[in-house]
Amino acid sequence: MISFIIFFFFAAVAVIFAAMVVLHRNPVVGALSLVASFFALAVMYVLLEAPFLAALQVIVYAGAIMVLFLFVIMLLNLQHQAEPHTRPVQQFLGYTSSAAFGLALIYYLAKYGVTKLPEGPFVSDARTVGIKMFEAYIFPFEMVSILLLAAIVGALLLSGRTGAAPPVTGENKL
Amino acid sequence: MIPTHWFLILSAILFTIGVCGVLTRRNGITIFMCIELMVNAVNLTFVAYARQFHQIHGLLFVFFVMAIAAAEAAVGLAIFISLFHHRHTIDVDEANLMRW
Repeated sequence: MISFIIFFFFAAVAVIFAAMVVLHRNPVVGALSLVASFFALAVMYVLLEAPFLAALQVIVYAGAIMVLFLFVIMLLNLQHQAEPHTRPVQQFLGYTSSAAFGLALIYYLAKYGVTKLPEGPFVSDARTVGIKMFEAYIFPFEMVSILLLAAIVGALLLSGRTGAAPPVTGENKL
Repeated sequence: MIPTHWFLILSAILFTIGVCGVLTRRNGITIFMCIELMVNAVNLTFVAYARQFHQIHGLLFVFFVMAIAAAEAAVGLAIFISLFHHRHTIDVDEANLMRW
């Protein structure tokens, strides 16, 4: 019973803060709302018997990725730059098509989704996950490490002023 | 124990909010945050099905999705910093040509 109350409370938190990301015009408020939404999702992982993933969600997403977003927003000083209003036709098409998409998604989930409860406990602690990862998924794990290295090099190359292309002048503009 | 399809419906709602943000916003970084929201909705689906079918593979996929989201965030934000240096805006409507 208590788990249902926790589920509904944190589901509401996740949805409200996710909506705040979309609706609020200040990107700093959006990023902090997204952090709150990720915390609520970490609670969902605990309810789904995956506490290790919940810790990872808080550390990696809320701790690392969102701090990167906040740093970039503050570095570019975006909160003083008013975002231009979206064109009404784009707003209308965006809201209607995403509402239709969401309704279709929930309809098919309700129609074809699994509704019976899983039987028995699900062991997914750090030990089980680690053994599986380094036995069956060792090759993708190494690939991800190479991908992260490539992403670091790419990010340095793209964001550094010295490595970037020269700014637009009269001559090199076609 | 909470049924799996409730988590799936929550995930569908979060994914729809992300789609809505990507379609209606013009600030590049906000669009990026909405993509992160959609990635997290998919992660929730992975974990819910992992518990439903007692398969640990779903959790391992969430690890890889998290790592790739981190790489994507680093490269994407670097692209936005570079765009801001050139154009002094991150409005995605201003950046509709793949040249500077």
